[in-house]
Amino acid sequence: MLPIIPLLAVISNLQVATPVIIKTTELELEFTARSANQMASFYEARGFPKTMLSILKQQCFITVGITNTSNKKIWLELSNWTFSSAGKPLKREHRDYWKNRWQNMNIPLSKQSTFRWTLIPETLDYLPGEREGGNIILPFTKDAITLEATFATGENKQGKTITINTDKIFCAQDAP
Amino acid sequence: MKKPYYYFKQLLLLIIVSLVSSSFISSISIAENVDEINPPFGLRHYDIGKAPDFILNNIDGEKFQLSEARGRWIFLHFWASWCGPCREEMPAVQRLDDIFQKDELEIVMVNTAEDEDTIFEFLAAINVELNSLLDSDGQVTEVWKPRGLPTSFLINPKGEVKYQAIGGREWDKTEYVQFIRRLIATSK
Repeated sequence: MLPIIPLLAVISNLQVATPVIIKTTELELEFTARSANQMASFYEARGFPKTMLSILKQQCFITVGITNTSNKKIWLELSNWTFSSAGKPLKREHRDYWKNRWQNMNIPLSKQSTFRWTLIPETLDYLPGEREGGNIILPFTKDAITLEATFATGENKQGKTITINTDKIFCAQDAP
Repeated sequence: MKKPYYYFKQLLLLIIVSLVSSSFISSISIAENVDEINPPFGLRHYDIGKAPDFILNNIDGEKFQLSEARGRWIFLHFWASWCGPCREEMPAVQRLDDIFQKDELEIVMVNTAEDEDTIFEFLAAINVELNSLLDSDGQVTEVWKPRGLPTSFLINPKGEVKYQAIGGREWDKTEYVQFIRRLIATSK
């Protein structure tokens, strides 16, 4: 059985936006936007404090699934992903930013830990056939989000660079 | 003068001795090359040296220290009840536990950052007999840095981490069971 993204499975019963799927000869990416209420119910059920929830509700959550469909190693490095919207850069906060924010708010360690496990790692190497993922958090926007992402390939990252582009990602919104 | 038959017998004996010796030597060389055993799909080599030690309580309140469990292979499994693949995988971990003797392979489960009640209810609901250690604040999991949940590590009898598996696996499948049997055989 292929590894599946834990969060995907947990909130799969909830209504979700249609995923954006990008396929190249080497990899497959799936982007699924989660609304504020979807994410809040997941975190609320895990006992997250209200102060944490109110911050999270203001964000744009995208669940990303990545599958290496090639026969060589592929490297995910989120620092090589550039998001923009309406012609302006959209800053994705590093997981350390969230760590510091929660620490400054004295959020219990167990909640900090659970939160981190729902994020996609900053760097990850994918062996042939591997599928892994997690969440990316962006500032909320109603406009379309453009992403340009590059992936190094090969054991020492010296293979061909894979570039993917999309301008079809949207943040999910709850029904009024 | 000795008969040709005598020389034939001597030659035959020499061949048999050579064959037996080479087979013995090759079995030794397999035992010495545990790192060269290719893992099945889903498991990857993960040589990080000595396993980071920890002491945690299980759901019965008993203390467990990883470094005291040397002398057998350890299957160290990080999980959480909110993780769908963890839930699906758990019965297969139970079956793996049923297949091996504890002095060959010990299953050590570590729950990440959940409370005792949640874990107890979860394990009872999926009807497994496995116990789990409680990493209540998630800090042991942070040290081990699994790539995601669930993640399992195979630690050799010397206490060295050797393999990592990410995502749910059907651990009682022949390919995994045979692989683990080979690992156990190399350390005997």
